[in-house]
Amino acid sequence: MKTKNKNIFKQIAGTAAIPAAAFLIVLILCSARGVKLFETEGNWILFFRAAASVMLTTFALSLNLNSGRFDFSIGSVSLLSSVISASICTSLGLPTIPMLIISIAAGAVLGMVSGLIYVIVKLPPIIVSLGVALFYEGLAFAITNGYGVSFVANTELTSFPSVLNYVLIILFGLLIFIFLFDHTKFGYEYKALVSGQKVAINTGIKEVPNAILCYTIAGALMGVVGFIRATQTGTIQMSLNFGSIGVMFTAFLPMFIGGFIGRFCNEKIGYLLGAITTAFISLMYARLNVDASIQQIVTALILVCFLIYLNNENKVIELVTLKQYRNKKTK
Amino acid sequence: MKNSKIKKYIMNLTPLLGLAVLFAAFLILGTVQDINISYGLKSILSQSVVVAVVATGAIFIYTLGSFDISLGASTAVSALIGGIVYNKTESLLVMTLVCIGVAVLVGLFNSVLASVFNLPVFVTTIAMLSVLNALVLVLIKVNGTGSQIAVPAAAVRSLNNTTFKMVVLLIFVLLCIFVFSFTKIGRMQKFLGGNPVCAKLSGISEKKMAIIAFVMSGIGVGLGAFLSIVYAPTLTRNTASSVGMDVIIAIVFGGMPVSGGARSKIYAAVIGAFSMTLLSQIMVMFNLNSGIGQMVKAAIFILVVFLATSGQRGKMLPR
Amino acid sequence: MKKFWALLLTAAMMVCVLAGCGGKDSESDNAQGGSAGTENQGGGSGAGDSGEDATPELDMSKTVKIGILVSDATSAEALAFRTYYTEYIQKQYNVELIYSDELADAAGEAAAIDTFITNNCKAVISFSSFDRAAQIEQCEGVGVYYAVATGTLTEDEYETYKGYEHYVGAIGPSLSVEFETGYNMAKHYLDQGVKNFAIFGGAIPYYTEMHIYRAAGMLTAMIDAGGDGANYQGATDMGGVLGQIFADGEVKTGAIGDVNVLGYVGGYDMDDAWFGKCAQMAQTADLEVILAVGNGSDFFGTAIAGTNVKIASVDAYASSYGEAMEAGMLDYLAGKFSASIGPIFIATYRAALGSPIRTADGNAFALSQGYWVASSAEEFNTYYAVDSSVDAPAYTKEMLDTLLTADYAAFESFVSKYSFEEIQGM
Repeated sequence: MKTKNKNIFKQIAGTAAIPAAAFLIVLILCSARGVKLFETEGNWILFFRAAASVMLTTFALSLNLNSGRFDFSIGSVSLLSSVISASICTSLGLPTIPMLIISIAAGAVLGMVSGLIYVIVKLPPIIVSLGVALFYEGLAFAITNGYGVSFVANTELTSFPSVLNYVLIILFGLLIFIFLFDHTKFGYEYKALVSGQKVAINTGIKEVPNAILCYTIAGALMGVVGFIRATQTGTIQMSLNFGSIGVMFTAFLPMFIGGFIGRFCNEKIGYLLGAITTAFISLMYARLNVDASIQQIVTALILVCFLIYLNNENKVIELVTLKQYRNKKTK
Repeated sequence: MKNSKIKKYIMNLTPLLGLAVLFAAFLILGTVQDINISYGLKSILSQSVVVAVVATGAIFIYTLGSFDISLGASTAVSALIGGIVYNKTESLLVMTLVCIGVAVLVGLFNSVLASVFNLPVFVTTIAMLSVLNALVLVLIKVNGTGSQIAVPAAAVRSLNNTTFKMVVLLIFVLLCIFVFSFTKIGRMQKFLGGNPVCAKLSGISEKKMAIIAFVMSGIGVGLGAFLSIVYAPTLTRNTASSVGMDVIIAIVFGGMPVSGGARSKIYAAVIGAFSMTLLSQIMVMFNLNSGIGQMVKAAIFILVVFLATSGQRGKMLPR
Repeated sequence: MKKFWALLLTAAMMVCVLAGCGGKDSESDNAQGGSAGTENQGGGSGAGDSGEDATPELDMSKTVKIGILVSDATSAEALAFRTYYTEYIQKQYNVELIYSDELADAAGEAAAIDTFITNNCKAVISFSSFDRAAQIEQCEGVGVYYAVATGTLTEDEYETYKGYEHYVGAIGPSLSVEFETGYNMAKHYLDQGVKNFAIFGGAIPYYTEMHIYRAAGMLTAMIDAGGDGANYQGATDMGGVLGQIFADGEVKTGAIGDVNVLGYVGGYDMDDAWFGKCAQMAQTADLEVILAVGNGSDFFGTAIAGTNVKIASVDAYASSYGEAMEAGMLDYLAGKFSASIGPIFIATYRAALGSPIRTADGNAFALSQGYWVASSAEEFNTYYAVDSSVDAPAYTKEMLDTLLTADYAAFESFVSKYSFEEIQGM
């Protein structure tokens, strides 16, 4: 009983440690400057929006990256799916929910096309994703004649940002993702392919449909991210020459944090907590008006330090315990 | 058996054939459209050389099956520090050495960070990309006008000619070919890239090889930074911003397998860089709008790489 | 079989893309056809015009290729300019305009000019300013004419290059016009009694001069209206304010006499933190007006929805701004009109045809041009209707044709009358 309780405590502590630590540090830094972390409704909206979009991007990136498929095109899928949905909705006068559905559908189709290209040409995914990213950016530009889409004055579509809506997106996204990957045949096969491609194929798992479905799901997730970004300001700005790949970089830190937290709970919840951690950091940057170049350096340092810890955990633990042992001995 | 050997030989030559086809297309379309072909060829050499040099060095990293996404930012930082040093010393030699030195240091930092702390190389380069991009803004703000750092154009004008750039490229490519094909370093790197477990069991030090790869890549980045200054001595926050992605595309375009290993080849970078520029030049002749032009480029890119690597596909999906 | 599918897929991608190109090509063909047709018409109308004597001197029978350097392919301003050139000018004159890719640095500019030279462009019109000096030198070296659109050279640069044979000249808002634009924008609200402002600094962190001058204009207007002792970080005039912004790389918030700068955001980081900064600035208590040195409504429009905060921007006449004005999200727009790049085209075209316009001293010209300012939806719609027309834009062919034979004085006079009313009165 005692061991069970200890394990549960360990799991809870391991799960909550990083976001809680991030929250505390951010809170202390803001307090030191006399700034309230959550002062207005806008601060809450920023926090939950960042958490939602980063969590979905992390899902999209990780589900292919865990299978060794590096995908540069997720940003362009997000861009193009939002261009398609916003163009349709503004021209037909459709409200928010249809825009969200069209975004998801467009993202899924674009992801599926990307997956189909990958399985047909059988080139390394990094190469396919470079070509696809360029193609989708160009297509988004061509569809809008370069103007992008603007619906700033469309109060229906731009009224989407709210804490409740973002929380709903987070919950639905998380539940669907957990269901798909932990409770379906597709999910089991996916995991088998992740842990051993050759063995899984030899046991009769069909890799091709699995890979296509992975790209389709990643595309649908990025469709939601595109929708979130578009409804945030009511404008979609164009990107060319790989300008869209920046979105991908927001997901690395939460992905690694999620991987760590995944030891104590479901990995997907880990990704959510990773996204929440980065949302705290983003909110702090905004509240303290931190310069962009400092933001870049700090974020990179956090990523490196975290990974150093992650990859050398045993050594760090050994070092700490050894110290304790020596301390005891000297006492 | 003989047939498969011939097929393999032809497959190896596909990127070169691709370059030849693009070259022929440039000549034919250029003649039809009555463009200035001789100037165009010089311009293609000038435009390709920075990516060719950086990509040639980067082949060493790719051979190990890794990749470095921060090469463009590293080129920018090296060029900026080189520019600052030139403005203080007015010595082109010192500037060149500083460009190379900074790039090698950045490469070493990447590799040491990766090997000492057991980090995956591509992750350290992603973090390095952010740090270097931030450093670009800081360097320009602290040492420049805020918007730029400029080396006087007159100082580098004499070097801004095709012959000089080709000589630099040639020397570096020869050096890389020597290290890659005529020393055991190249063989060990291919072995590590192709089969890391066996290579390690054979006593090859992964860390040592990673450091050598990043040093070679650093030399390429440094020379690329120097050639960037020679070509365009006004350096801004977006200097060399496209180099990072161009290098990846050039390497792949030239027929280099991204998984590294035995099929790695130095000349892939040069072929890829020239093919890319030729393709861009051909696209200009069609005068397409930006979006459609980019779509055509993407489609051709996939098609060329598909054809160039058609002998390398296995039964499983590549990762 | 797999190979077949792969080839089929890539072929499909190519066909899909080239189908798009085909459409574009046929448009270009029409454009060329149109050029030839309208050229004849032009010749016909020219016969009855004041340019009767001189027009025949320009041999417009051959298609002239002109390269267009652009560092921005996606902003409303850049797209409006491009539409005017490709959808109007290219159809009216026997020219082929070759656009560069979106350039990011000086190396990109040099490479694009090399490409233009390869394609036998007789001239280059530049919208890109990473290294103007290098661009001019490169063009002069190979005998290609070079012109600056919607920008100016610095005084030093002008002194160095004004005598270059192939440097045509520059038309665009000078830095003093940029300063005035910012000044007038702030004054518009200060005159209404507004006291609480926030400033969006656009590319000030990257030290883009035009944005710094616009912000300096805003702050100077606040100093002038702020009462006794009003100052910005100790500065009380244009020079001082400019020096302060250049030193800081940003605008500092605080009181300027009895006027307040309550918030400031700069840069275009477009990440979560940056959008957060924008939203919290827009929602600052007591804020009345956001003055943007560039596009403001796209970044702050949704954040001020339902409040009384107003946004003033500097950009171009795009439909999205019209919608924002109708919805009360944009209150004031100082916009470049797309046809403003008509005169620099004529000057470049003339140079390429062997009849460059030079000042009385035989130098390249440096002419300033300002903005159309709309402070109501009605005004915006009036301007936009003209600005977006590809049949009858602000500067039509008939108007531009008068410049084909104009001397410098007439050219300068034409360019100096840039306000909407003046152009409509032409």
